[in-house]
Amino acid sequence: MNFQVKNILGAMVLIGLNTNALADELPDRQQALPSVQKQAEHLYLQSAALADIPAGEFGDKVRLGYQLFVNTQQLRDKHVGNELNCVNCHLNAGNKANASPLWGAYFAYPAYRKKNDKVNSFEERLQGCFTYSMNGKAPESGSKELVALSAYSYWLGMSGLMLQHNVAGPVPELSDSELVKGAKRDDFILPEAISSKMDQNALAQLPGRGYPAVPKAEQAYSPERGAKVYQAHCQSCHGDDGQGQMIAGIAALPPLWGPQSYNWGAGMHRVGTAADFIYENMPLGKSVQLTPQQAWDVSSYINSQERPQDPRFKGQVTDTQKQYHQHDGYYGKTISGQVLGSDSSANFPKK
Amino acid sequence: MNKTIIAATFVSSVLSIQVSASVPDVSPKELQQTVPAAAQICVSCHGAQGQGLEGAGPKLAGLSSAYMAAQVKLFQSGNRQNPLMQPMAMMLQGDNIKIAADYFASQPVVEVGLHYRGDKVVIENPAEKLAYQGDWSRDLPACFSCHGPSAVGAELFPRLAGQQASYLKIQLEAWQKGTRKGDADNMMANVANKLTAVEIDQLAQYFASLK
Repeated sequence: MNFQVKNILGAMVLIGLNTNALADELPDRQQALPSVQKQAEHLYLQSAALADIPAGEFGDKVRLGYQLFVNTQQLRDKHVGNELNCVNCHLNAGNKANASPLWGAYFAYPAYRKKNDKVNSFEERLQGCFTYSMNGKAPESGSKELVALSAYSYWLGMSGLMLQHNVAGPVPELSDSELVKGAKRDDFILPEAISSKMDQNALAQLPGRGYPAVPKAEQAYSPERGAKVYQAHCQSCHGDDGQGQMIAGIAALPPLWGPQSYNWGAGMHRVGTAADFIYENMPLGKSVQLTPQQAWDVSSYINSQERPQDPRFKGQVTDTQKQYHQHDGYYGKTISGQVLGSDSSANFPKK
Repeated sequence: MNKTIIAATFVSSVLSIQVSASVPDVSPKELQQTVPAAAQICVSCHGAQGQGLEGAGPKLAGLSSAYMAAQVKLFQSGNRQNPLMQPMAMMLQGDNIKIAADYFASQPVVEVGLHYRGDKVVIENPAEKLAYQGDWSRDLPACFSCHGPSAVGAELFPRLAGQQASYLKIQLEAWQKGTRKGDADNMMANVANKLTAVEIDQLAQYFASLK
């Protein structure tokens, strides 16, 4: 049954896409790649220390990538339209297994994504983050920002693989145009010691990539039950109104809904994606504290609140819903008499 | 019972030192005019401006009213244990909690230069590294995550910048021992329990040095 429903939904999505293939559409690059299942025997990649980033031009790009990643507010009003930072969802500066680490993503791109029926490069995936998760305006292809974030991701992954496979020497430098592509391509050069042990598919499925899928819950998720979970376990950091905690002008703890959070096109607005993240990674530094049911419920509570509009919105919530929201999200659904998406805040508002 | 008497004796002796030593330009009479009555009992250990008195009471200036009111209640309920402060907290009841907390929250605090995550990529000082990057090999989040830039704090996340090193050390140890609790999901004890004694010393010194 479930399978059938999924197929039907999938077909609807494809139809939606086909009718728009010619239009100048903002592509959806936020659908998660299938996650890697978590297993007890998994050894996760351990990147080299930040102190090992080499001096020089290439190292400078890596360092800038790190700095933009942990303080993305440097790009506020230029490319960022909310109070979030990349590190809010990709913990430990994008280096934590099972918190969508950059090293996992880098080796999984370019990737074919059925949602836009196209092979997406790593920088295109990053652009999706800016458009949706950061409710902003994506830096242009090949821009300093995308090169830096790609360089940092590459460096984390490659240094980790080299350590794992005892490859000595510095991380090989790549040109900007190579960096932004990602590593899942035939012309990507890997040290022999690594390529002889791991093929492209193994590298694209590194243990710890993405957020592992939360176990299924006994009951269907419920925002009402989720509200109680939120009050007990989330509000002391994220605020009773979900607006996070501002300290000295920045959101030290991120807003989860409302105008300063991710928009209706972000991957995190999907109940499943947020449940995966929450179950594995929240509360910060504790990991796996909630039951799967609590994780699903609280995710549905958080994601059934208003947030910035889906940037693909063309004036009718029902149209946007039909075309882009045939999944486990609340866009276009009625909660407390209000159609979500009908009162959404602006995309890329200035601070 | 005995403890209460000892505490009260200690407090009154500190009181006499405090007024003459720390606030030389203000006579006790003038002091009473500026400090609200509800906050008078705090002054002997925490100072008339909440500037603190090393060994007796931590700095209160720079903490939010909500945080201080919550702490008074945690002392009253026994979630925070301290032979000196618990009986003092019991003497503060009702509206007086907020009046005293508001007063100390409004006191001036030395401004610190704000440093954000990512300002430095490579951090040599081990305490500063923990503060800004944490140590995720132990699932230890950065202090920055909750205490903010330069650990200036806000609302229920206390300011650590410029606090007394001795107090910070005692608090981290109290979280470890369970003589301080009462936050949501035991979050701070979870952090403190992962710290070594050396790290606690380093962190206490580091935050105290942020002035």
